[in-house]
Amino acid sequence: MQSKKVLLFFVLFFLVAFAVKKGSPEPPSYLPTPYYSLPVSPESNDTVALGRLLFYDNILSGNNEVSCASCHNSYNAFAHTDHALSHGIFDSIGTRNAPALFNLAWKKNFMWDGATHHLDAQALAPLHDPKEMGSSMEELLSKLQASTFYQNEFFNTYQDSLINSRRVLQALASFELSFVSFQSKYDAVKEGDAGFTDQEDSGYKLFDQHCSKCHKEPLFTNGEFMDNNLPVDSSLDDKGRFLVSKQTEDRYKFKVPSLRNLSYTYPYMHDGRFTKLNDVLAHYSSHEQSGFYRKHDLEKPILLSFNERADLIAFLLTLNDPRFVFNPLYSFPDKLKKELTKI
Amino acid sequence: MRAILLVLFGAVSITFTRAQLNFCLATDCSVSVPMRLNSEDSVSTLRFYISNVRIMHGGKIVWSAEKEHYLIDFNQDQLENNNVIGYKGSGLKEGVLKFILGVDDNTSTKGIGEGPLDPIRGMYWTWQSGYINFKLEGTSNQCPTKKNKFQLHLGGFQEPYRTTQNIELKISGEEEAVVFNLKKLMTTINLKEDHTVMSPGEKAVYLMQNAKSCFYAK
Repeated sequence: MQSKKVLLFFVLFFLVAFAVKKGSPEPPSYLPTPYYSLPVSPESNDTVALGRLLFYDNILSGNNEVSCASCHNSYNAFAHTDHALSHGIFDSIGTRNAPALFNLAWKKNFMWDGATHHLDAQALAPLHDPKEMGSSMEELLSKLQASTFYQNEFFNTYQDSLINSRRVLQALASFELSFVSFQSKYDAVKEGDAGFTDQEDSGYKLFDQHCSKCHKEPLFTNGEFMDNNLPVDSSLDDKGRFLVSKQTEDRYKFKVPSLRNLSYTYPYMHDGRFTKLNDVLAHYSSHEQSGFYRKHDLEKPILLSFNERADLIAFLLTLNDPRFVFNPLYSFPDKLKKELTKI
Repeated sequence: MRAILLVLFGAVSITFTRAQLNFCLATDCSVSVPMRLNSEDSVSTLRFYISNVRIMHGGKIVWSAEKEHYLIDFNQDQLENNNVIGYKGSGLKEGVLKFILGVDDNTSTKGIGEGPLDPIRGMYWTWQSGYINFKLEGTSNQCPTKKNKFQLHLGGFQEPYRTTQNIELKISGEEEAVVFNLKKLMTTINLKEDHTVMSPGEKAVYLMQNAKSCFYAK
Protein backbone atom coordinates (compact mmCIF):
# COMPACT_ATOMS: atom_id res chain seq x y z
CA MET A 1 0.00 0.00 0.00
CA GLN A 2 2.79 2.37 1.00
CA SER A 3 4.74 1.53 -2.15
CA LYS A 4 1.67 2.25 -4.26
CA LYS A 5 1.43 5.70 -2.69
CA VAL A 6 5.11 6.31 -3.36
CA LEU A 7 4.65 5.16 -6.94
CA LEU A 8 1.63 7.43 -7.38
CA PHE A 9 3.68 10.30 -5.96
CA PHE A 10 6.45 9.74 -8.50
CA VAL A 11 4.01 9.39 -11.37
CA LEU A 12 2.38 12.69 -10.38
CA PHE A 13 5.77 14.31 -9.90
CA PHE A 14 6.90 13.34 -13.39
CA LEU A 15 3.59 14.41 -14.91
CA VAL A 16 3.91 17.82 -13.31
CA ALA A 17 7.60 18.11 -14.20
CA PHE A 18 6.85 17.09 -17.79
CA ALA A 19 4.06 19.64 -18.06
CA VAL A 20 6.35 22.41 -16.81
CA LYS A 21 9.16 21.35 -19.11
CA LYS A 22 6.85 21.48 -22.12
CA GLY A 23 6.03 25.06 -21.26
CA SER A 24 2.42 24.21 -20.65
CA PRO A 25 0.75 27.54 -19.91
CA GLU A 26 -1.03 26.39 -16.78
CA PRO A 27 -2.09 29.70 -15.26
CA PRO A 28 -1.57 30.26 -11.54
CA SER A 29 -4.49 29.95 -9.16
CA TYR A 30 -4.65 33.65 -8.23
CA LEU A 31 -5.89 34.66 -11.69
CA PRO A 32 -9.48 35.52 -12.51
CA THR A 33 -11.43 33.19 -14.80
CA PRO A 34 -10.41 33.80 -18.42
CA TYR A 35 -12.97 34.75 -21.10
CA TYR A 36 -11.50 32.15 -23.48
CA SER A 37 -10.37 28.59 -22.81
CA LEU A 38 -6.65 28.14 -23.20
CA PRO A 39 -5.01 25.81 -25.69
CA VAL A 40 -3.32 22.83 -24.05
CA SER A 41 0.20 23.67 -25.15
CA PRO A 42 1.88 25.94 -27.66
CA GLU A 43 3.44 22.91 -29.36
CA SER A 44 0.47 20.57 -29.54
CA ASN A 45 -0.39 19.46 -33.04
CA ASP A 46 -3.58 21.36 -33.46
CA THR A 47 -4.86 24.79 -34.39
CA VAL A 48 -2.07 26.42 -32.36
CA ALA A 49 0.59 25.03 -34.70
CA LEU A 50 -1.39 26.07 -37.76
CA GLY A 51 -1.95 29.51 -36.27
CA ARG A 52 1.78 29.84 -35.68
CA LEU A 53 2.48 29.24 -39.38
CA LEU A 54 -0.12 31.81 -40.41
CA PHE A 55 1.11 34.31 -37.82
CA TYR A 56 4.61 34.24 -39.29
CA ASP A 57 3.67 34.02 -42.98
CA ASN A 58 3.92 37.10 -45.22
CA ILE A 59 1.21 35.53 -47.37
CA LEU A 60 -1.25 37.42 -45.16
CA SER A 61 -0.32 40.78 -46.67
CA GLY A 62 -1.35 42.18 -50.03
CA ASN A 63 2.25 42.36 -51.30
CA ASN A 64 3.53 39.27 -49.44
CA GLU A 65 5.99 41.34 -47.41
CA VAL A 66 4.38 41.70 -44.01
CA SER A 67 3.25 39.13 -41.46
CA CYS A 68 1.57 39.48 -38.08
CA ALA A 69 5.02 38.95 -36.58
CA SER A 70 6.38 41.98 -38.43
CA CYS A 71 4.75 44.18 -35.80
CA HIS A 72 4.28 41.55 -33.08
CA ASN A 73 7.72 40.10 -32.42
CA SER A 74 7.93 37.24 -29.93
CA TYR A 75 11.20 38.61 -28.54
CA ASN A 76 9.37 41.79 -27.60
CA ALA A 77 6.42 40.06 -25.94
CA PHE A 78 4.81 40.40 -29.37
CA ALA A 79 5.11 44.19 -29.44
CA HIS A 80 7.17 46.23 -31.94
CA THR A 81 10.23 47.61 -30.20
CA ASP A 82 11.48 51.01 -31.29
CA HIS A 83 8.50 51.71 -33.55
CA ALA A 84 6.12 54.29 -32.18
CA LEU A 85 3.39 53.63 -34.75
CA SER A 86 2.56 50.42 -36.58
CA HIS A 87 4.16 49.70 -39.94
CA GLY A 88 2.36 48.18 -42.89
CA ILE A 89 2.86 47.30 -46.53
CA PHE A 90 4.61 49.77 -48.87
CA ASP A 91 6.17 51.48 -45.81
CA SER A 92 2.79 52.69 -44.58
CA ILE A 93 2.66 54.11 -41.09
CA GLY A 94 -0.46 53.55 -39.02
CA THR A 95 -1.90 55.70 -36.26
CA ARG A 96 -1.27 53.60 -33.16
CA ASN A 97 1.45 51.62 -31.44
CA ALA A 98 1.36 47.86 -32.06
CA PRO A 99 0.41 46.51 -28.63
CA ALA A 100 2.13 43.60 -26.89
CA LEU A 101 0.22 40.32 -27.11
CA PHE A 102 -0.05 38.05 -24.08
CA ASN A 103 -2.67 36.82 -21.64
CA LEU A 104 -5.29 37.58 -24.29
CA ALA A 105 -7.69 35.02 -22.83
CA TRP A 106 -8.32 37.50 -20.01
CA LYS A 107 -9.34 40.35 -22.32
CA LYS A 108 -12.98 41.10 -22.99
CA ASN A 109 -12.16 43.18 -26.06
CA PHE A 110 -9.17 44.04 -28.22
CA MET A 111 -7.35 47.00 -29.79
CA TRP A 112 -6.54 50.29 -28.04
CA ASP A 113 -10.16 51.38 -28.43
CA GLY A 114 -11.82 47.99 -27.91
CA ALA A 115 -13.13 48.00 -31.49
CA THR A 116 -12.90 44.20 -31.65
CA HIS A 117 -15.16 42.34 -29.26
CA HIS A 118 -13.93 38.81 -29.97
CA LEU A 119 -10.42 37.48 -30.58
CA ASP A 120 -11.55 35.44 -33.60
CA ALA A 121 -12.59 38.64 -35.36
CA GLN A 122 -9.46 40.62 -34.46
CA ALA A 123 -7.19 39.53 -37.32
CA LEU A 124 -9.70 40.89 -39.86
CA ALA A 125 -8.76 44.43 -38.83
CA PRO A 126 -5.03 44.41 -39.70
CA LEU A 127 -5.66 42.06 -42.64
CA HIS A 128 -7.98 44.56 -44.33
CA ASP A 129 -6.36 47.81 -43.20
CA PRO A 130 -4.62 49.38 -46.23
CA LYS A 131 -1.97 50.78 -43.86
CA GLU A 132 -1.27 47.39 -42.32
CA MET A 133 -1.58 44.21 -44.40
CA GLY A 134 -3.64 45.72 -47.22
CA SER A 135 -5.27 42.43 -48.13
CA SER A 136 -8.67 40.83 -47.60
CA MET A 137 -9.95 37.52 -46.31
CA GLU A 138 -11.08 36.65 -49.82
CA GLU A 139 -7.62 37.28 -51.24
CA LEU A 140 -5.93 35.39 -48.39
CA LEU A 141 -8.21 32.39 -48.80
CA SER A 142 -7.47 32.15 -52.50
CA LYS A 143 -3.72 32.23 -51.79
CA LEU A 144 -3.99 29.60 -49.07
CA GLN A 145 -6.26 27.38 -51.16
CA ALA A 146 -3.71 27.48 -54.00
CA SER A 147 -0.89 26.37 -51.68
CA THR A 148 -0.15 22.64 -51.40
CA PHE A 149 1.71 23.37 -48.17
CA TYR A 150 -1.39 24.89 -46.56
CA GLN A 151 -3.73 22.29 -48.05
CA ASN A 152 -1.66 19.69 -46.19
CA GLU A 153 -1.46 21.75 -43.02
CA PHE A 154 -5.21 22.32 -42.91
CA PHE A 155 -5.77 18.63 -43.59
CA ASN A 156 -3.43 17.66 -40.74
CA THR A 157 -5.21 20.03 -38.40
CA TYR A 158 -8.84 19.49 -39.33
CA GLN A 159 -8.79 16.08 -41.08
CA ASP A 160 -10.05 17.71 -44.24
CA SER A 161 -8.49 20.36 -46.46
CA LEU A 162 -11.31 22.92 -46.31
CA ILE A 163 -9.74 26.36 -45.93
CA ASN A 164 -12.26 28.99 -44.87
CA SER A 165 -12.37 32.25 -42.92
CA ARG A 166 -13.41 30.67 -39.66
CA ARG A 167 -10.57 28.14 -39.65
CA VAL A 168 -7.95 30.76 -40.53
CA LEU A 169 -9.19 33.14 -37.84
CA GLN A 170 -9.59 30.47 -35.18
CA ALA A 171 -6.11 29.09 -35.85
CA LEU A 172 -4.59 32.56 -35.44
CA ALA A 173 -6.62 33.10 -32.27
CA SER A 174 -5.51 29.71 -30.86
CA PHE A 175 -1.84 30.54 -31.35
CA GLU A 176 -2.39 33.95 -29.76
CA LEU A 177 -4.25 32.44 -26.81
CA SER A 178 -1.19 30.28 -26.15
CA PHE A 179 0.75 33.48 -25.30
CA VAL A 180 0.41 32.99 -21.56
CA SER A 181 2.88 34.91 -19.43
CA PHE A 182 2.84 34.24 -15.71
CA GLN A 183 6.41 33.18 -15.01
CA SER A 184 7.82 36.52 -13.90
CA LYS A 185 9.60 37.10 -10.61
CA TYR A 186 6.40 38.76 -9.37
CA ASP A 187 4.57 35.47 -10.00
CA ALA A 188 7.28 33.47 -8.24
CA VAL A 189 6.92 35.76 -5.22
CA LYS A 190 3.15 35.41 -5.39
CA GLU A 191 3.54 31.62 -5.42
CA GLY A 192 5.93 31.76 -2.46
CA ASP A 193 8.91 30.54 -4.51
CA ALA A 194 10.93 33.77 -4.31
CA GLY A 195 11.11 37.02 -2.39
CA PHE A 196 11.35 40.67 -3.36
CA THR A 197 14.47 42.65 -2.53
CA ASP A 198 13.98 45.59 -0.15
CA GLN A 199 14.01 47.95 -3.09
CA GLU A 200 11.44 45.91 -5.03
CA ASP A 201 9.30 45.68 -1.92
CA SER A 202 9.39 49.43 -1.46
CA GLY A 203 8.49 49.82 -5.16
CA TYR A 204 5.59 47.38 -4.74
CA LYS A 205 4.16 49.55 -1.96
CA LEU A 206 4.46 52.67 -4.15
CA PHE A 207 2.84 50.79 -7.02
CA ASP A 208 -0.01 49.71 -4.80
CA GLN A 209 -0.54 53.27 -3.64
CA HIS A 210 -0.34 55.08 -6.99
CA CYS A 211 -0.78 52.72 -9.94
CA SER A 212 -2.77 49.66 -8.96
CA LYS A 213 -6.24 51.10 -9.51
CA CYS A 214 -5.83 51.04 -13.29
CA HIS A 215 -2.97 48.55 -13.58
CA LYS A 216 -4.77 46.10 -11.38
CA GLU A 217 -3.07 42.92 -10.16
CA PRO A 218 -2.54 40.19 -11.18
CA LEU A 219 -3.05 41.08 -14.86
CA PHE A 220 -1.73 44.60 -14.25
CA THR A 221 -4.62 46.10 -16.15
CA ASN A 222 -8.23 46.63 -15.17
CA GLY A 223 -9.20 46.10 -18.81
CA GLU A 224 -11.00 49.45 -18.89
CA PHE A 225 -10.63 52.55 -21.06
CA MET A 226 -9.11 55.51 -19.28
CA ASP A 227 -7.88 58.98 -20.14
CA ASN A 228 -4.41 59.37 -18.68
CA ASN A 229 -4.27 63.03 -19.68
CA LEU A 230 -1.70 62.74 -22.45
CA PRO A 231 -1.45 65.95 -24.48
CA VAL A 232 -3.29 65.40 -27.76
CA ASP A 233 -1.00 64.81 -30.71
CA SER A 234 -2.61 67.19 -33.22
CA SER A 235 -1.16 65.29 -36.19
CA LEU A 236 -3.16 62.20 -35.13
CA ASP A 237 -6.01 63.74 -33.10
CA ASP A 238 -6.90 60.22 -32.01
CA LYS A 239 -10.06 60.28 -29.89
CA GLY A 240 -9.63 56.64 -28.87
CA ARG A 241 -12.63 54.82 -27.43
CA PHE A 242 -14.95 57.61 -28.61
CA LEU A 243 -14.46 56.43 -32.19
CA VAL A 244 -16.14 53.16 -31.22
CA SER A 245 -18.66 54.15 -28.57
CA LYS A 246 -19.53 57.65 -29.88
CA GLN A 247 -20.04 58.65 -26.24
CA THR A 248 -18.60 62.08 -25.40
CA GLU A 249 -17.21 60.85 -22.07
CA ASP A 250 -15.04 58.34 -23.95
CA ARG A 251 -13.01 60.94 -25.82
CA TYR A 252 -9.24 60.36 -25.50
CA LYS A 253 -9.75 57.16 -23.53
CA PHE A 254 -7.60 54.17 -24.42
CA LYS A 255 -7.34 50.63 -23.12
CA VAL A 256 -5.17 50.39 -20.00
CA PRO A 257 -2.22 48.21 -21.09
CA SER A 258 -0.79 45.50 -18.87
CA LEU A 259 2.52 46.41 -17.26
CA ARG A 260 3.81 42.85 -17.53
CA ASN A 261 6.87 42.42 -19.79
CA LEU A 262 7.29 46.16 -19.94
CA SER A 263 11.04 46.08 -20.58
CA TYR A 264 10.39 44.36 -23.90
CA THR A 265 7.46 46.41 -25.10
CA TYR A 266 8.70 49.98 -25.44
CA PRO A 267 7.85 52.50 -26.79
CA TYR A 268 4.92 53.21 -24.48
CA MET A 269 1.41 54.67 -24.78
CA HIS A 270 -1.13 54.23 -27.59
CA ASP A 271 1.01 56.31 -29.94
CA GLY A 272 4.38 55.11 -28.67
CA ARG A 273 5.40 58.62 -27.61
CA PHE A 274 7.58 57.56 -24.66
CA THR A 275 10.62 55.35 -25.10
CA LYS A 276 11.74 55.13 -21.48
CA LEU A 277 9.99 54.21 -18.27
CA ASN A 278 11.35 57.40 -16.77
CA ASP A 279 9.51 59.40 -19.46
CA VAL A 280 6.32 57.61 -18.44
CA LEU A 281 6.87 58.35 -14.76
CA ALA A 282 7.70 61.97 -15.61
CA HIS A 283 4.33 62.24 -17.37
CA TYR A 284 2.44 60.89 -14.39
CA SER A 285 4.23 63.25 -12.03
CA SER A 286 3.66 66.41 -14.06
CA HIS A 287 0.16 66.33 -15.59
CA GLU A 288 1.39 68.36 -18.49
CA GLN A 289 -1.38 70.09 -20.41
CA SER A 290 -1.35 71.27 -23.97
CA GLY A 291 -3.52 74.26 -24.72
CA PHE A 292 -6.77 73.14 -23.14
CA TYR A 293 -7.92 71.34 -20.05
CA ARG A 294 -10.10 68.30 -20.15
CA LYS A 295 -11.63 66.00 -17.59
CA HIS A 296 -9.45 62.93 -17.22
CA ASP A 297 -8.97 59.89 -15.02
CA LEU A 298 -5.81 60.81 -13.11
CA GLU A 299 -6.59 61.79 -9.55
CA LYS A 300 -3.49 63.82 -8.82
CA PRO A 301 0.13 64.06 -9.95
CA ILE A 302 2.20 61.15 -8.64
CA LEU A 303 5.04 62.97 -6.94
CA LEU A 304 7.96 60.64 -6.33
CA SER A 305 11.49 61.31 -5.15
CA PHE A 306 14.42 60.15 -7.28
CA ASN A 307 14.87 57.13 -4.99
CA GLU A 308 11.19 56.29 -5.03
CA ARG A 309 11.19 56.30 -8.82
CA ALA A 310 14.12 53.90 -8.79
CA ASP A 311 12.27 51.65 -6.33
CA LEU A 312 9.10 51.69 -8.40
CA ILE A 313 11.00 50.79 -11.55
CA ALA A 314 12.79 47.99 -9.65
CA PHE A 315 9.38 46.52 -8.82
CA LEU A 316 8.07 46.99 -12.37
CA LEU A 317 11.04 45.04 -13.69
CA THR A 318 9.91 42.01 -11.66
CA LEU A 319 6.96 41.84 -14.07
CA ASN A 320 9.25 40.80 -16.92
CA ASP A 321 8.84 37.20 -17.98
CA PRO A 322 11.92 36.20 -19.99
CA ARG A 323 10.80 32.55 -20.08
CA PHE A 324 7.75 33.66 -22.01
CA VAL A 325 9.58 36.08 -24.26
CA PHE A 326 12.36 33.68 -25.19
CA ASN A 327 10.24 30.53 -25.40
CA PRO A 328 11.28 28.99 -28.75
CA LEU A 329 7.76 27.63 -29.23
CA TYR A 330 6.61 31.15 -30.01
CA SER A 331 9.33 32.01 -32.51
CA PHE A 332 9.47 31.60 -36.29
CA PRO A 333 8.41 28.01 -37.05
CA ASP A 334 11.04 25.74 -38.69
CA LYS A 335 8.39 24.28 -40.95
CA LEU A 336 7.84 27.66 -42.56
CA LYS A 337 11.60 28.15 -43.03
CA LYS A 338 11.72 24.89 -44.99
CA GLU A 339 8.70 25.94 -47.00
CA LEU A 340 10.25 29.31 -47.82
CA THR A 341 13.55 27.78 -48.94
CA LYS A 342 11.60 25.69 -51.46
CA ILE A 343 10.36 28.79 -53.27
CA MET B 1 -51.47 51.30 -62.05
CA ARG B 2 -49.66 52.96 -59.21
CA ALA B 3 -50.08 49.89 -57.03
CA ILE B 4 -48.65 47.64 -59.71
CA LEU B 5 -45.59 49.85 -60.04
CA LEU B 6 -45.12 49.67 -56.29
CA VAL B 7 -45.02 45.92 -56.42
CA LEU B 8 -42.80 45.73 -59.45
CA PHE B 9 -40.27 48.38 -58.61
CA GLY B 10 -40.55 49.24 -54.98
CA ALA B 11 -41.35 46.17 -53.01
CA VAL B 12 -39.81 42.96 -51.77
CA SER B 13 -42.20 40.12 -51.33
CA ILE B 14 -41.88 36.80 -49.61
CA THR B 15 -43.91 34.02 -51.15
CA PHE B 16 -44.98 31.23 -48.85
CA THR B 17 -45.33 27.66 -49.85
CA ARG B 18 -45.73 24.74 -47.51
CA ALA B 19 -42.04 24.11 -47.28
CA GLN B 20 -40.37 27.41 -47.79
CA LEU B 21 -40.39 31.15 -47.68
CA ASN B 22 -39.18 32.70 -50.86
CA PHE B 23 -37.74 36.17 -50.53
CA CYS B 24 -38.34 38.07 -53.75
CA LEU B 25 -38.28 41.53 -55.14
CA ALA B 26 -41.92 41.96 -56.23
CA THR B 27 -44.25 39.06 -56.94
CA ASP B 28 -42.15 38.10 -59.93
CA CYS B 29 -39.18 36.45 -58.22
CA SER B 30 -36.83 37.17 -61.09
CA VAL B 31 -36.85 40.92 -60.35
CA SER B 32 -33.48 41.88 -58.89
CA VAL B 33 -30.98 44.65 -58.27
CA PRO B 34 -29.50 46.77 -59.85
CA MET B 35 -32.86 48.45 -60.14
CA ARG B 36 -34.02 51.92 -61.05
CA LEU B 37 -36.71 53.18 -58.70
CA ASN B 38 -37.50 56.45 -60.48
CA SER B 39 -35.73 59.08 -62.52
CA GLU B 40 -33.60 60.12 -59.51
CA ASP B 41 -32.92 57.04 -57.45
CA SER B 42 -31.54 53.63 -58.17
CA VAL B 43 -30.52 50.76 -55.93
CA SER B 44 -27.45 48.67 -56.74
CA THR B 45 -27.20 46.51 -53.60
CA LEU B 46 -29.84 45.29 -51.22
CA ARG B 47 -28.86 42.64 -48.74
CA PHE B 48 -29.87 41.85 -45.21
CA TYR B 49 -29.68 39.14 -42.62
CA ILE B 50 -32.67 37.49 -41.08
CA SER B 51 -32.47 35.22 -38.04
CA ASN B 52 -34.71 32.91 -36.10
CA VAL B 53 -37.53 32.70 -38.65
CA ARG B 54 -40.64 30.90 -37.40
CA ILE B 55 -44.42 30.94 -37.48
CA MET B 56 -46.27 30.94 -34.18
CA HIS B 57 -49.82 29.79 -33.68
CA GLY B 58 -51.58 29.39 -30.37
CA GLY B 59 -48.34 29.97 -28.48
CA LYS B 60 -46.57 27.18 -30.37
CA ILE B 61 -44.05 27.18 -33.17
CA VAL B 62 -45.87 25.59 -36.13
CA TRP B 63 -43.13 26.20 -38.67
CA SER B 64 -39.52 27.15 -38.35
CA ALA B 65 -36.66 27.71 -40.73
CA GLU B 66 -33.99 25.07 -41.12
CA LYS B 67 -31.09 27.42 -40.49
CA GLU B 68 -30.57 30.07 -37.86
CA HIS B 69 -29.40 32.76 -40.25
CA TYR B 70 -30.06 33.68 -43.84
CA LEU B 71 -28.39 36.31 -45.95
CA ILE B 72 -31.08 37.63 -48.27
CA ASP B 73 -29.37 39.11 -51.31
CA PHE B 74 -31.31 40.63 -54.19
CA ASN B 75 -28.40 40.70 -56.56
CA GLN B 76 -29.48 38.95 -59.75
CA ASP B 77 -26.84 36.22 -59.30
CA GLN B 78 -27.87 35.48 -55.73
CA LEU B 79 -31.66 35.28 -56.02
CA GLU B 80 -31.80 31.50 -56.04
CA ASN B 81 -30.26 31.45 -52.57
CA ASN B 82 -33.09 33.48 -51.10
CA ASN B 83 -35.25 30.49 -50.26
CA VAL B 84 -35.77 29.99 -46.57
CA ILE B 85 -36.40 26.31 -46.09
CA GLY B 86 -38.49 25.12 -43.19
CA TYR B 87 -38.36 21.77 -41.47
CA LYS B 88 -41.12 21.88 -38.93
CA GLY B 89 -44.83 21.62 -39.64
CA SER B 90 -46.42 20.77 -42.95
CA GLY B 91 -49.20 23.24 -43.63
CA LEU B 92 -48.98 26.93 -42.97
CA LYS B 93 -52.11 28.07 -41.22
CA GLU B 94 -52.97 31.38 -39.72
CA GLY B 95 -50.49 32.63 -37.22
CA VAL B 96 -47.73 35.12 -36.70
CA LEU B 97 -44.57 35.08 -38.76
CA LYS B 98 -41.71 36.19 -36.58
CA PHE B 99 -38.12 36.87 -37.47
CA ILE B 100 -35.25 39.07 -36.48
CA LEU B 101 -34.04 41.56 -39.07
CA GLY B 102 -30.28 41.24 -38.69
CA VAL B 103 -27.97 38.70 -37.07
CA ASP B 104 -29.32 37.98 -33.60
CA ASP B 105 -27.35 39.72 -30.86
CA ASN B 106 -26.27 36.50 -29.17
CA THR B 107 -24.57 35.26 -32.36
CA SER B 108 -22.94 38.66 -32.84
CA THR B 109 -21.23 38.46 -29.45
CA LYS B 110 -19.57 35.20 -30.47
CA GLY B 111 -16.72 34.87 -32.93
CA ILE B 112 -16.83 34.35 -36.66
CA GLY B 113 -19.51 32.22 -38.29
CA GLU B 114 -19.56 30.10 -41.42
CA GLY B 115 -21.85 29.95 -44.46
CA PRO B 116 -23.96 33.10 -44.61
CA LEU B 117 -21.99 34.49 -41.64
CA ASP B 118 -18.59 34.11 -43.32
CA PRO B 119 -16.88 37.54 -43.38
CA ILE B 120 -16.04 37.09 -47.08
CA ARG B 121 -19.73 37.81 -47.77
CA GLY B 122 -18.90 41.48 -47.31
CA MET B 123 -21.30 41.77 -44.40
CA TYR B 124 -18.73 41.98 -41.59
CA TRP B 125 -16.92 45.10 -40.50
CA THR B 126 -13.20 44.73 -40.15
CA TRP B 127 -12.01 47.80 -38.24
CA GLN B 128 -14.81 47.47 -35.69
CA SER B 129 -16.13 43.97 -35.28
CA GLY B 130 -19.75 43.11 -35.91
CA TYR B 131 -22.08 42.14 -38.71
CA ILE B 132 -23.64 44.59 -41.13
CA ASN B 133 -27.28 43.66 -40.63
CA PHE B 134 -28.65 45.56 -43.57
CA LYS B 135 -26.86 46.92 -46.62
CA LEU B 136 -28.45 49.31 -49.07
CA GLU B 137 -26.39 51.01 -51.76
CA GLY B 138 -27.22 52.99 -54.84
CA THR B 139 -27.24 56.44 -56.35
CA SER B 140 -29.53 59.41 -55.97
CA ASN B 141 -29.44 62.95 -57.29
CA GLN B 142 -30.02 64.05 -53.72
CA CYS B 143 -26.65 62.73 -52.49
CA PRO B 144 -23.90 65.34 -52.28
CA THR B 145 -21.34 62.57 -52.67
CA LYS B 146 -18.90 61.37 -55.31
CA LYS B 147 -20.94 60.01 -58.23
CA ASN B 148 -24.09 60.68 -56.12
CA LYS B 149 -23.61 57.40 -54.29
CA PHE B 150 -25.28 56.41 -51.06
CA GLN B 151 -23.94 53.62 -48.87
CA LEU B 152 -25.98 52.54 -45.90
CA HIS B 153 -24.29 49.76 -43.94
CA LEU B 154 -26.46 49.32 -40.90
CA GLY B 155 -25.25 47.28 -37.95
CA GLY B 156 -24.39 47.37 -34.27
CA PHE B 157 -25.33 44.90 -31.55
CA GLN B 158 -24.25 46.70 -28.41
CA GLU B 159 -26.28 49.21 -26.43
CA PRO B 160 -27.11 52.00 -26.93
CA TYR B 161 -26.82 51.33 -30.67
CA ARG B 162 -28.43 47.92 -31.04
CA THR B 163 -29.86 47.67 -34.55
CA THR B 164 -31.56 44.25 -34.75
CA GLN B 165 -35.33 44.48 -35.13
CA ASN B 166 -37.96 41.94 -34.09
CA ILE B 167 -40.52 41.63 -36.82
CA GLU B 168 -43.98 40.11 -36.32
CA LEU B 169 -46.46 39.81 -39.16
CA LYS B 170 -49.94 38.31 -38.96
CA ILE B 171 -50.68 35.80 -41.68
CA SER B 172 -53.97 34.18 -42.48
CA GLY B 173 -53.66 31.47 -45.15
CA GLU B 174 -51.43 28.93 -46.84
CA GLU B 175 -50.30 31.29 -49.57
CA GLU B 176 -49.09 34.57 -48.22
CA ALA B 177 -46.76 37.26 -49.35
CA VAL B 178 -44.75 39.46 -47.08
CA VAL B 179 -43.83 42.66 -48.77
CA PHE B 180 -40.85 44.78 -48.00
CA ASN B 181 -41.71 48.19 -49.31
CA LEU B 182 -38.39 49.50 -50.54
CA LYS B 183 -39.99 52.58 -52.01
CA LYS B 184 -41.42 53.48 -48.62
CA LEU B 185 -38.02 53.02 -47.01
CA MET B 186 -36.46 55.30 -49.61
CA THR B 187 -38.98 58.03 -48.86
CA THR B 188 -38.12 57.89 -45.14
CA ILE B 189 -34.41 58.43 -45.76
CA ASN B 190 -33.09 61.95 -46.07
CA LEU B 191 -30.35 61.16 -48.58
CA LYS B 192 -29.08 64.74 -48.45
CA GLU B 193 -27.90 63.99 -44.90
CA ASP B 194 -27.93 60.24 -44.39
CA HIS B 195 -26.08 59.05 -47.47
CA THR B 196 -23.07 57.41 -45.83
CA VAL B 197 -23.62 55.33 -42.71
CA MET B 198 -20.91 52.76 -42.13
CA SER B 199 -20.66 52.26 -38.39
CA PRO B 200 -22.95 51.62 -35.42
CA GLY B 201 -24.63 54.74 -34.10
CA GLU B 202 -27.85 56.71 -33.86
CA LYS B 203 -28.34 56.88 -37.62
CA ALA B 204 -28.00 53.13 -38.03
CA VAL B 205 -30.58 52.50 -35.31
CA TYR B 206 -32.99 55.04 -36.81
CA LEU B 207 -32.65 53.64 -40.31
CA MET B 208 -33.11 50.06 -39.11
CA GLN B 209 -36.30 51.12 -37.31
CA ASN B 210 -37.45 52.60 -40.61
CA ALA B 211 -36.62 49.35 -42.39
CA LYS B 212 -38.62 47.40 -39.82
CA SER B 213 -41.74 49.41 -40.60
CA CYS B 214 -41.47 48.51 -44.29
CA PHE B 215 -42.35 44.82 -43.91
CA TYR B 216 -46.01 43.90 -44.17
CA ALA B 217 -48.14 40.88 -44.99
CA LYS B 218 -50.08 40.87 -48.23
